[in-house]
Amino acid sequence: MFLIRELKLQTNMQQTKIHLAKIAAIIILIMCVVAILSSLGFSFTSYSYDQTSECILKPPSAHHLLGTDELGRDLLTRIIYGSQLSISIGFLTAIIAFLVGTAYGSIAGFIGGRVDTLMMRGIDLFYALPDLLIMILIGIVIGRGTFGILLALGLVSWMGTARLVRAQFLYLKKEEFIEAARACGASSWRIIVKHLLPNAFAPIVVSLTFIVPSAILAESTLSFIGLGLSPPACSWGTLASEGWRALRTEPHLILWPSLAIFIVVLSFNFLGDTLADKLDPKNKLIN
Amino acid sequence: MLKLIVKRILLLIPLLWLIATLTFFLLRVLPGGPFDSEKNLPPEIMANLQAKYHLDKPLPQQYCYYIQRLSKGDLGISYKYLDRSVNDILASAFPVSLTLGIAALCIAITVGIPLGIFAAINKDNAIDAACIGIATLGVSLPGFVIGALLIFVFGIWLKLLPVALWESGWHIILPALTLAAGPTAYLARLTRTSMLDALNKDWVRTARLKGQSYWQTILKHVLRNALVPIITVLGPLSAILITGSFTVEYIYAVPGMGRFFITAVSNRDYDLVLGTTLIFSVLLVIANTIVDILYHVLDPRIEITD
Repeated sequence: MFLIRELKLQTNMQQTKIHLAKIAAIIILIMCVVAILSSLGFSFTSYSYDQTSECILKPPSAHHLLGTDELGRDLLTRIIYGSQLSISIGFLTAIIAFLVGTAYGSIAGFIGGRVDTLMMRGIDLFYALPDLLIMILIGIVIGRGTFGILLALGLVSWMGTARLVRAQFLYLKKEEFIEAARACGASSWRIIVKHLLPNAFAPIVVSLTFIVPSAILAESTLSFIGLGLSPPACSWGTLASEGWRALRTEPHLILWPSLAIFIVVLSFNFLGDTLADKLDPKNKLIN
Repeated sequence: MLKLIVKRILLLIPLLWLIATLTFFLLRVLPGGPFDSEKNLPPEIMANLQAKYHLDKPLPQQYCYYIQRLSKGDLGISYKYLDRSVNDILASAFPVSLTLGIAALCIAITVGIPLGIFAAINKDNAIDAACIGIATLGVSLPGFVIGALLIFVFGIWLKLLPVALWESGWHIILPALTLAAGPTAYLARLTRTSMLDALNKDWVRTARLKGQSYWQTILKHVLRNALVPIITVLGPLSAILITGSFTVEYIYAVPGMGRFFITAVSNRDYDLVLGTTLIFSVLLVIANTIVDILYHVLDPRIEITD
């Protein structure tokens, strides 16, 4: 009796989790569509993102749903416009981390031996340098535009993916199907691309769902400390850090952009958690 | 164990040399110099300044000077904070960051790990959802927003705690909480995963059959085995927390190392950047050595190598 009730409870909980993850995926999808539409010039409000007006620092009202900033610009319009930069930075950082991390980890894991040891020590050295130092250096050399930020964020986030791919490869390399492929005369390239990578794909995807939100957070922190994007560039990070300065008198200025960051990052975290649960081979056995 | 510590200390020297060399050349490759922001210096004065700090010499010679001084434990002079040596600046800033970092670390450990344990032993019910919910909130906001929230609630609204500066014990609370938020959430999530792994092992049933109480089994057996991955991340985490966070020190106007580091890079204050980076590396190595020793204490099957 007791056991059955508990089992039922568990499946209920798992159902809720899956529903939450679906909602999270829908939220992410909506945000992406909004960002893409706004980059195509579609306007969701009756203002443009840099349109100034007489109503300065107004709290939310019927005209300005989320209020206005110190130049009388509509905050909702600016948050929608800022989603272009914030969301694309998140995704592009994940893509860079995926490309660099997978290439590096594949080579290290596939060749193994001394090359592997050397490449892993290289990663250790990278870890020993503070992230901020690397990001600042890139910012100074490339500039603090979107491209500089992207490169900086990409360069500090690929190491985790590289380690993961390497560990997966070291483990998968010893499996029988790889030996079979080799016996059939498959080339190393073919083994990596056709056999090893598809099998290592699930954990890579999970790790990427966590890189997107951390890149969005890192961008906003960098912009806040003045090392990331700065106005007139408009991202959720720059909006929130503009709001920080007026925290005491106009708390709505920091509230709304932070809420946007919070919702997207939370959605990605939920999605990542559930994906990790679903894609983990150990859980498959239990279910 | 003594052998391990001696070996690590000996390994530290080439590592520090490598990091010092790498950072030294990375910084010199950057465009701009430490005196660029001084307005319209006459060329003679500029030349004198450069000569005083040996910046007019060829790069290899500057490097030799630096390594020579470094080997004597002298980290150099700051170009911006006139007449203060890097040793002097770090001696005043490091204790501040250390205090703040240790406070944050204590919060992260005492809150994060129990949260993860409770979540794991209540897997998939409301308590689990609540614990993980709290932890997910902590990793879903940038540090400065958490800081803003705390300042707004405790400083401006309730007027309970001071919102800035570094004077009394009360001043530590808000910055420590801000600094601890992310790591606490991270530790809670990690502890949960790692506890769930350990809870599924056969020896848990054995321990219970033997007559050990529920909590004894959880604390003595499961937690002990679950601690290995937690200890692994605690190493680098404590090094990062102790060297100071720019964001937190900036928000609360705390005179710690994080702030000096960022301003030093922007000012091309070469020696100060190098000094801070070296301290971070030393702390990282020390933390990782402690982690390796703890591995062996937790699980004697793990051999101490290197």
